[in-house]
Amino acid sequence: MQQLLTTTLTGLVLGAVYAAFALALVMIWRSTRVVNFAQAPMAMLTTYIALVIIEAGHSFWLGFVAALLAGLVLGAVVERVLVRPVEGKGDLNAVILTLGLFIVLHSVAALVFGSRYRSFPAPFGVRGIEVGGTTVALTGFGIFTILAVVVVMGLLVLLFRFTDVGLRMRASAHSPEVARLLGVRVGRMLTLGWALAAVVGSLAGLLIAGGGLVHPGYMDAVVVYGFVAAVLGGLDSPGGAVAGGVLLGLCLSFVSGYLGSELVAMAALLILVAVLLVKPSGLFATTAHRRV
Amino acid sequence: MLEVRDLSASYGAVKALDGVSFDAADGQITAVLGANGAGKTTLLRTLSGLVRPTAGSARLGSTDLLRTPVEEMTRTGLAHVPEGRGVITELTVEENLRLGALGAPSGGERRFDVDRVTELFPVLGQRRHQVADTLSGGERQMLVIGRALLAEPRILLLDEPSLGLAPRVVAQIFALLRDLVSSTGLSVLLVEQNARSALGIADVGIVLNLGRLVVQQAADTLVDDDQLRHAYLGF
Repeated sequence: MQQLLTTTLTGLVLGAVYAAFALALVMIWRSTRVVNFAQAPMAMLTTYIALVIIEAGHSFWLGFVAALLAGLVLGAVVERVLVRPVEGKGDLNAVILTLGLFIVLHSVAALVFGSRYRSFPAPFGVRGIEVGGTTVALTGFGIFTILAVVVVMGLLVLLFRFTDVGLRMRASAHSPEVARLLGVRVGRMLTLGWALAAVVGSLAGLLIAGGGLVHPGYMDAVVVYGFVAAVLGGLDSPGGAVAGGVLLGLCLSFVSGYLGSELVAMAALLILVAVLLVKPSGLFATTAHRRV
Repeated sequence: MLEVRDLSASYGAVKALDGVSFDAADGQITAVLGANGAGKTTLLRTLSGLVRPTAGSARLGSTDLLRTPVEEMTRTGLAHVPEGRGVITELTVEENLRLGALGAPSGGERRFDVDRVTELFPVLGQRRHQVADTLSGGERQMLVIGRALLAEPRILLLDEPSLGLAPRVVAQIFALLRDLVSSTGLSVLLVEQNARSALGIADVGIVLNLGRLVVQQAADTLVDDDQLRHAYLGF
């Protein structure tokens, strides 16, 4: 019983982070049809920015906000400077570009910040909360993780559903030519989409790092899990990405808790293969019938 | 007033438009007719900036259309409803309409709002919160016309609005267009394969053949000219 609860709670926290990361991947895929593998090192880089600020004696929250802002800028710059020129020149080009960026950002981080492990602070306790004498696996930072992801997702829903900018962004993602004819500056909307996705990715980076160790490769596994979560939910569906993230977090937590932590990566890949074999459009795809 | 002079455009070595000149007056419907591949769609796409011209000029009032980027077109008063309707099927009916209104020129008097458009097309009002993917062909055509009207255009470019629609629906939409033009002074450039229906509501007809403008005449004269009809319009 105790272990079941522990495993479930750990899975939910992990799932929240995977959900955020998957959502970042889906936002970019929907608008520009690029799987942004560089999302991981981008988030790693912005987390280092937070770390530098915090280690310089400023508050955790200043570093936190600075990292998110850095993500916003980095996302916009990557889209505008690197992705835009290869747009429409073969789907593979942009993907190879993000893989290249993956390697470059790794090296940059190693050069600037060093490649040793550094511990990243957490603003809340990282020990289990005590409930009636027994310690539950849910930590203060775990609760914060789930809340932060829920709040960000709520804000994104508000943005996309109820604001003019959000409407323009959705139109640009679904029908760029029609959107342009309706007076939407599609290029700007795509840049903004990448920027916002990078913020969500950065958030995931910070949440993974909190109370743990960072090094240039610490996000690399997360991009794999985020990608699996996104495929699980349907690459085209933001809601699916979130559900896929939570589901994957729970699955992997159970694998780790009951079968052994060394099997986690393999389990993730098995899930990926199974989804691609059985339901390639994802479990929650809303646009499976879409005529492209 | 739309003034087109010596407009040419090519796809690679193929000349799609070859020195086309005509005027389209305010408050009139100009039917653009001709066979498949005559250059009708290219004409509209060139005017709205989707295709780059190789020569010529196009002015809407004081605006040089050929120097205006696509994204700015609605703000100069030109709305283009592309072939194949251009409904954004992932958005709701209302979101499609809101999007149209976002493109309207700032300032300026508003003749249309979402309520007025749903008055013109009551079925859009009933389906307001439905995803546009669920609409029938005729409803989609009404949606894109309504959406274009919300951008408060001076000129509306319609590419094959009758495509794939039942004759009754076409008649309904065309009658509505005629009323709108009479009541608002809107100018319409109507590209059609269905020459007979188009000439039924148009003031002027122009006929394109292999990228060249071969005829420009009052619509009723064009209908009565048997020779022209047989040669270019196929009825």
